[in-house]
Amino acid sequence: MLKIEGLHAGYGGFEVLRDVSIEVGAGETVAVLGPNGAGKSTLLKVIAGLLKPSSGAIHFENRRIDGKAPYEIVEMGISLVPEGGRLFPELTVYSNLMMGSFNKRTRRYFKDSLEEVASLFPIIKQRKNQVAGLMSGGERQMVAIARALMSRPKLLMLDEPSSGLAPKIVASIFEFVKEIKDRGYSVLMVEQTVKKAVNVADHIYLLESGRVEFHGKKEDFLENPKIKRSYLGI
Amino acid sequence: MKQIKNLKRGILLFLLALLIVWPFLFQSKYLLHILILIFIWSYVTTVWSYMGRFGLVSLGHGAFFGIGVYTTAILFNLHHVSPWLGMFVGGLVAAAIAVVLGYGCFKFGVIGHYFAIATLVLSEISTLVIIALRDALQTGGRLGLTIRSVGTSPLYLQFDNKMYFYFLALALLLLALFIWKKIDESKAQMALKAVGEDEEAALSLGIDVVKYKTAVFALSAFLTAVGGTVYVQFTMFADPTTCTGVGLSLGIVFKAIIGGMYTLWGPTIGSLLIVILEEYTRLFLGSAYVSYSHIIYGLLIIVLIRFLPKGLHGTVSEIFQGRRKREAKTLLAGRQLAENRD
Amino acid sequence: MLILNSVVNGVLFGGVLALMAFGMNLMFGVVQIVHLAYGQFIMVGLYLVYVLAILYHVPLLLSCAAATAAVALLSILAYYLVVKPLLKAPPINQLLALAGVWMVLENACLALFGATYKGVQVVLPVLHVGELYIAASNLIGFVVGLITLAMLYLFLNKTYTGVAIRAIAQDPEITGIMGVNPRTVYLVTFAVGGALAGITAACFVPVYSVHPHFGGAFTLLAFIIVILGGMGNLLGGFIGAFIIGVVTSVSSTLLNPEIGQIIVLLICLLIIIIRPQGLLGVRGK
Ligand SMILES: Nc1ncnc2c1ncn2[C@@H]1O[C@H](COP(=O)(O)OP(=O)(O)O)[C@@H](O)[C@H]1O
Ligand SMILES: [Mg+2]
Repeated sequence: MLKIEGLHAGYGGFEVLRDVSIEVGAGETVAVLGPNGAGKSTLLKVIAGLLKPSSGAIHFENRRIDGKAPYEIVEMGISLVPEGGRLFPELTVYSNLMMGSFNKRTRRYFKDSLEEVASLFPIIKQRKNQVAGLMSGGERQMVAIARALMSRPKLLMLDEPSSGLAPKIVASIFEFVKEIKDRGYSVLMVEQTVKKAVNVADHIYLLESGRVEFHGKKEDFLENPKIKRSYLGI
Repeated sequence: MKQIKNLKRGILLFLLALLIVWPFLFQSKYLLHILILIFIWSYVTTVWSYMGRFGLVSLGHGAFFGIGVYTTAILFNLHHVSPWLGMFVGGLVAAAIAVVLGYGCFKFGVIGHYFAIATLVLSEISTLVIIALRDALQTGGRLGLTIRSVGTSPLYLQFDNKMYFYFLALALLLLALFIWKKIDESKAQMALKAVGEDEEAALSLGIDVVKYKTAVFALSAFLTAVGGTVYVQFTMFADPTTCTGVGLSLGIVFKAIIGGMYTLWGPTIGSLLIVILEEYTRLFLGSAYVSYSHIIYGLLIIVLIRFLPKGLHGTVSEIFQGRRKREAKTLLAGRQLAENRD
Repeated sequence: MLILNSVVNGVLFGGVLALMAFGMNLMFGVVQIVHLAYGQFIMVGLYLVYVLAILYHVPLLLSCAAATAAVALLSILAYYLVVKPLLKAPPINQLLALAGVWMVLENACLALFGATYKGVQVVLPVLHVGELYIAASNLIGFVVGLITLAMLYLFLNKTYTGVAIRAIAQDPEITGIMGVNPRTVYLVTFAVGGALAGITAACFVPVYSVHPHFGGAFTLLAFIIVILGGMGNLLGGFIGAFIIGVVTSVSSTLLNPEIGQIIVLLICLLIIIIRPQGLLGVRGK
């Protein structure tokens, strides 16, 4: 469904991603793991169209999408939950969700989408008229995921959904990710904390200094002796 | 390379010599008048562009010019003070205002377009002050004032023969260009360029950016006011629209942009073009049509900013040669300063 | 009593000022552009009303409506020709290009209409309420201003485009991944801003005769209000408008009007320097 080949990208002359190739199949959950500064957010930004790659190709459902504008990419069915959620702080929860369904493809389904999303996150109905900037970190993350789902994506991308949250809330966020996965969405998730992410993922990529250092099934990842040592602490 | 430089110097010297003998060769009063205007505006625009070197676009120089004009005029008309002294007083008043405003702005990081807006407000205030003082100081408000004539009197900076103003204005322009060079070559300026807008880095090189910018702003304001004095002694008439305010400030900025605000000759070239354009429309279409020339140069500004966003920069070749050379020098100066501190 | 009277008229006039400042504020908040030629658009609106109503005898209300539409179109034109190519340019370049627009519009009006005052002589009654004298022109401006602002409020909160306008002012990057094409939003913002300039002009018809130099004064007035309330802060601008309305009205009753304006401008300078977030705003978002 999503196929990235030989991707190079960076900021100014500074190269961050080097020859990255990643694939996400339909209905699959893929986790890209890596330490801080590895280039995980950069990868998602490139896919979402916020950053132009310097070379390489990205195909989504057999259509080439690299170089397209962010608003065109949403229209095609890719949605990003940015790091920290990035809700519009002065808008209400409801208006934030409205922005989620802004694209022409899904705008007319606003009511249905809202019901669907609310069945996953009941909080958005209770807090409909609250200004987003005043909510707690966990709540914001949930609304941010809800906002991304409002665009009825085929591929949902999550940038460190657990970062900065208390362990209890992290656990519930991953429950939600599992639920989303079970509802049939394809998910591309980026994480630093390995253990939780590995549990929900089908495929794992390990990104270090902008290069894919490992990729494979969850089982292979857990068995790999090097990874065991440096990431799982076994 | 050296030949080109010598050629350039030769042409400039020839031009200078030509300008010096001009009034003795040609008797046309009208041409003399135009040349004086070109000198005065080139001078003011060059002086304005001292600020441009720091990315500071002042929309307040109309106010400084007006301060020069009105201080001189009022001191002379009401108290019979010589314009030579008035010129100095006006310059000091302008510089004092620049110090207060500049220090406040730079200290609090009001730069870029915020600085432009702050100085724009200053321009508007200057117009209002002149109108408010129409009776108290006999500024004449919007109707303007006339300098009392005493015939030819060097002591009172009044000459029936315009030739004196011609040389005075030419001398001022040469002075302004000379100071431009000095600022450009100053160690502080080069070091500032080396570190860009990074004030901390500049500080570590021993340059207090706020102080330096304020000083240049004050110098620029002082000299602009001096220009105002010469202008009003030349025209003998002042009103708020032509001698101060937002309109005049924009006029100065536009002349600089059209010629190129980062080069030595840019402001002069811009002033030359615009004065000629204005006079051409006045002469051939009548003075009711001067606004057409302003429409043209408003459009010119829009087009230039769009297609040559960094200004005309004199000629393209100048950019290439000048920049490489200057950058090399700049880095060197930065390093020297750093070493001096150790 | 005299003071109370000017306070009331000042508050009423504040309604129109709020409208005027809103347009400039919106463009600053959304497009991050200081619209230096905003007042010139209002001036053009006033001239258009004059041309239609006086020279072509079009009914006044119709003239106002047509002028509003025309100014909105002019604003769209300015967006395409001047602003859009400079969206990525340094702010100072945008500012100077709009100064060019200022120059062009001011001198175009000077060339077309000369340096005399042109106006539609509308004689509106002065209403007596108890001991207060209220200019009907101020009252009309107030009502029109508030109705327009209420409609804007609905637009900005209830429609997709309106919410996107607010969103882009808060986080342009994320607005893009919501499926918003920023260029479309900017275009709408300029259209709305232009329409607001037009409506402001219509409200000014009974108050001012127009002169080519008025544009600059309007721009500055809008500026002062926007700066007072904090640039891009719509609520701040709204409150700032009423403050300026009252201060202007009271000071011109008590002092010489220029002195009142000078004081306001000096305060404005102080705010730019030490409280760029505005008197009423909070720093940051
Ligand atoms: N906007 C930016 N401009 C310049 N460099 C950036 C920018 N964003 C990230 N970087 C750099 O790119 C590298 C990768 O960053 P990022 O993709 O955010 O890593 P991760 O999400 O894996 O922590 C880092 O070295 C970071 O400093
Ligand atoms: Mg990251």
